[in-house]
Amino acid sequence: MGKIIVMTSGKGGVGKTTSSAAFATGLALRGFKTVVIDFDVGLRNLDLVMGCERRVVFDFINVINGEAKLNQALIKDKRIDNLYILPTSQTRDKDALTKEGVEKVLNELSKEFDYILCDSPAGIERGALMSLYFADHAIIVTNPEVSSVRDSDRILGVLNSKSRRAERGEEPVTQQLLLTRYDPERVERGEMLKVDDVLEILAIPLLGVIPESQAVLRASNVGMPVILDEHSNAGQAYIDAVGRFLGEDLEHRFVSVPKKGLFSRLLRRTA
Amino acid sequence: MSIFSFFRSAPRPSAVQAKERLQIVMAHERAGRTGPDYLPMLQQELLAVIAKYIDIDQNKVEVKLDRGGDCSTLELNIELPAREAAKALKEAAKAAVGKANGAAAHDDEVSDSVKMAAGGGALTNGGVKKRR
Ligand SMILES: Nc1ncnc2c1ncn2[C@@H]1O[C@H](COP(=O)(O)OP(=O)(O)OP(=O)(O)O)[C@@H](O)[C@H]1O
Ligand SMILES: [Mg+2]
Repeated sequence: MGKIIVMTSGKGGVGKTTSSAAFATGLALRGFKTVVIDFDVGLRNLDLVMGCERRVVFDFINVINGEAKLNQALIKDKRIDNLYILPTSQTRDKDALTKEGVEKVLNELSKEFDYILCDSPAGIERGALMSLYFADHAIIVTNPEVSSVRDSDRILGVLNSKSRRAERGEEPVTQQLLLTRYDPERVERGEMLKVDDVLEILAIPLLGVIPESQAVLRASNVGMPVILDEHSNAGQAYIDAVGRFLGEDLEHRFVSVPKKGLFSRLLRRTA
Repeated sequence: MSIFSFFRSAPRPSAVQAKERLQIVMAHERAGRTGPDYLPMLQQELLAVIAKYIDIDQNKVEVKLDRGGDCSTLELNIELPAREAAKALKEAAKAAVGKANGAAAHDDEVSDSVKMAAGGGALTNGGVKKRR
């Protein structure tokens, strides 16, 4: 039975799709058969970030409506074995996501895959609810910023009350925090919430801290999940986060400003 | 940078304010998440009581809420048709709030509006005054 993970946040634009692409790729690189599903019906974007936009024929909604077979809609990644993408529709809206339809697709996928990663749309409406409803595990993507933290807390409340596990009174959906777009320099200047502040407020375990990084835009420009840019700090931070997800005990990197020599500090002062 | 700025005390970093604001607002939101949102109902019922005595314009009613760290206030501003009516409303408002949670209504002498302040955790705890 595959494990269902939802990448969710409440707030839009915090890095769910970037993180979904990176995480799915990271899990596949570790040898797990992984599929990543775009739940953002109407605003398809995961295909672009994964670099398979020109290969989309059928989509998630076609499968739900019985217009295509699951195997016809799944796109196999060209770079990595074990990695598949299930793109969403651009023309339909989120009402096309019926609970029964989503359940049928997830059931079928979980027979074949180790991990099923659901990239949630922003908000707490139908699309977001459907993406988290069947989840076993939730990765809460948060930026160190007041609205994002508050929305993450709302989503935690939704997970604890409206997920299938909550409704059935089963073991709750496990939750981990992925703090993205973190800028240690701004934190040091007192302009940005610290990792510890966010952890204290949200009170869930920390999966990883992804630094603000130019590599993310570069990677999305060319349709490559940033985790494949192993030289970038964001790529390395995602590699570590995947390791932690799989149970490894890794120290958090990129959370503080690297110590500079006296000379470069003086240069920075005058700059 | 002027030399005087060395002597000025540093302003509170904005990140510290962000954390404090989040802690306060989220404590309220978490508490409210479990129960139903009774604010609209409370407002309707209060208005119904007032409307029994005075002819009020529903559009001239303003409900304000200020969530504090250990004390919240609910403010209800109702613009009245005439000065005469204000007196009657004050009596009615006092009675209504008194019944609801035992908090006294504030008199507001200066305008044709009546302000009611329900202190403590009236909003988070169904009218029971609560301090954390
Ligand atoms: N660590 C990062 N450093 C710099 N830019 C980032 C980082 N993470 C994400 N971004 C940028 O932020 C923007 C939003 O990212 P993304 O599309 O992944 O967010 P999202 O949460 O999926 O948005 P939506 O809610 O619209 O689905 C993109 O332009 C992306 O390149
Ligand atoms: Mg997205």
